[in-house]
Amino acid sequence: MTGRVIVITSGKGGVGKTTTSANIGTALAKDGYKVVLIDTDLGLRNLDLLLGLENRIVYTIVDVIEERCKLKQALVKDKKNPNLSLLAAAQTRDKTAVNAEQLREICDTLKEENDFVLVDCPAGIEQGFQNAVAGASEAIVVTTPEMSAIRDADRIIGLLESKEEIKSYKLLLNRVRPSLIKSNEMMSVDDVVEILSCPLIGIIPEDTGIITSTNKGEPIVNDENALAGKAYRNVALRILGEEVPFLDLDEPKGFMAKIKNAFAKLKAKV
Amino acid sequence: MEKGFVENGFIIDLSSAMNTTQLVFELSSIMEHPDVKGKRVCLKLGSTDLKQSQLLSIKALIDSMDASIALIDTSSEQTKASAESLGIVVSEISANATPTIVGKAEESIKEEPVEVKEEDKTIEVVADMKIPTAPVETAEGVEDVYEEESTQELSEIIPAEHFDNDFESLAANEGLLKAEETSKYILLDTGDVLPQGVEENSANTETLPTLYLNQTLRSGQTVNYDGNILIIGDAHPGSEIVASGDITVWGILGGIAHAGSQGNVTAKVRALKLNAIQLRIAGLYARRNDTLNVPYVQKTNEFTPEEAQIEDGKIVIYKKLRRD
Repeated sequence: MTGRVIVITSGKGGVGKTTTSANIGTALAKDGYKVVLIDTDLGLRNLDLLLGLENRIVYTIVDVIEERCKLKQALVKDKKNPNLSLLAAAQTRDKTAVNAEQLREICDTLKEENDFVLVDCPAGIEQGFQNAVAGASEAIVVTTPEMSAIRDADRIIGLLESKEEIKSYKLLLNRVRPSLIKSNEMMSVDDVVEILSCPLIGIIPEDTGIITSTNKGEPIVNDENALAGKAYRNVALRILGEEVPFLDLDEPKGFMAKIKNAFAKLKAKV
Repeated sequence: MEKGFVENGFIIDLSSAMNTTQLVFELSSIMEHPDVKGKRVCLKLGSTDLKQSQLLSIKALIDSMDASIALIDTSSEQTKASAESLGIVVSEISANATPTIVGKAEESIKEEPVEVKEEDKTIEVVADMKIPTAPVETAEGVEDVYEEESTQELSEIIPAEHFDNDFESLAANEGLLKAEETSKYILLDTGDVLPQGVEENSANTETLPTLYLNQTLRSGQTVNYDGNILIIGDAHPGSEIVASGDITVWGILGGIAHAGSQGNVTAKVRALKLNAIQLRIAGLYARRNDTLNVPYVQKTNEFTPEEAQIEDGKIVIYKKLRRD
């Protein structure tokens, strides 16, 4: 079996790389695929927190590279889904503890026994980024509809294009707020796609549930009712090659919903 | 202030502490008591040598509990010098006063209301290292009595025989309470985690040197020391403390703590608040239970000192329960 290695990157920090990694990984594992998540953000690891696995980490990627343990020992199994495991970053080291060649080796080993290897990339375009993309053949570029995030995403896409190993890259637009797009205060999805001229793989609406899910260590895809969770499940399906229409993020229709909306707008004005 | 008298305060006898770690841990369990608030504290330090920085931290900690150091009694020249440089009064605390009351439980106070309420004008708290169970207690109304008569000699105020009998039974009944083994930490199945060539041993950690740190350990910071580690401050989640001996944190322990890293199975981890994401002692690794609900912000008045050690191949946590 040769799995797919996908790097999740963005350039800018805080746009949702780690949240995206955790959710897509969980969604794919729920669909029955074997998934390994690799956190490459050495010294500022968060992926373990989002998955609620912080207390189970004994060995990290640096231990694997420095041969203090076997790769298998360092994989932390998810609490709920045995298909999902995490290779955690070292919190007490920095990016220089790992190089691109070593990461490529780890990715190559892992993809032999897994369907998907998702690499959570750190912010920036320095060594951390170079390491993370080294073993990947596909990329998901996460951005938000803000000029700064788009500028950084553009830079990242340029760098990805210059890498021979990266065969394809897709755009994931995060934290979209339909109400702001409607009132022309936020760039629309079409605008972003046009600026970056990059195929879209998903649109994730802004969802306050993300905050609670992050704090609880429980990815939002596990919440059947959350809109963001549904959007992430759709992204997973698109990765698997299914054609899924993008979610209709427009404001809810129906009489009660309209009244609710009107009140919300009134409140906002006051 | 005359020799041997304490207005509105305590004498804390730490002279039996064998090293700084023990001293600080005992003091912490005493200072943790709410009745200490606003009191003046006299420290009997015995022959323990304290550097200026160490004494300063002890002073800062006592200050942080809204108490203050009235004077210290020490036989160590170094401690004396440290105290003088910090402007702390060094004096003998009533040389002929025998250390008497040792942590009185409220229950036993009720049983003997006469002795305690009418005669007990000053309370001396002795942290006896041989019986690490001594809880801290004060009798109600002590404060008022002090103000009325604060010039009596200690030895006259507390007749030693009133409390001698209590002490043994108290130690037996009010011993360190074992926290429920299963609830807080769960052993990880890690296989062989001790590095090659390292064997389990049970060397005495008291003879090891102690690294003294007066700082907050933040995420990503590690301390690794061949000996005991004493941290005055919090160890935040994401930090890592590795010691071949004991680890003592006077604060909230939230990161990873590995005591006895060279295989010492008698090593202990203690903290005012034991919330370590992982506890490791020698070759045993335990993770914090997922169901444990750790609040985002820890309230400083909710400390109950805890101590983790290996027992029957498990990591067991002992808790000093407060009786309020």
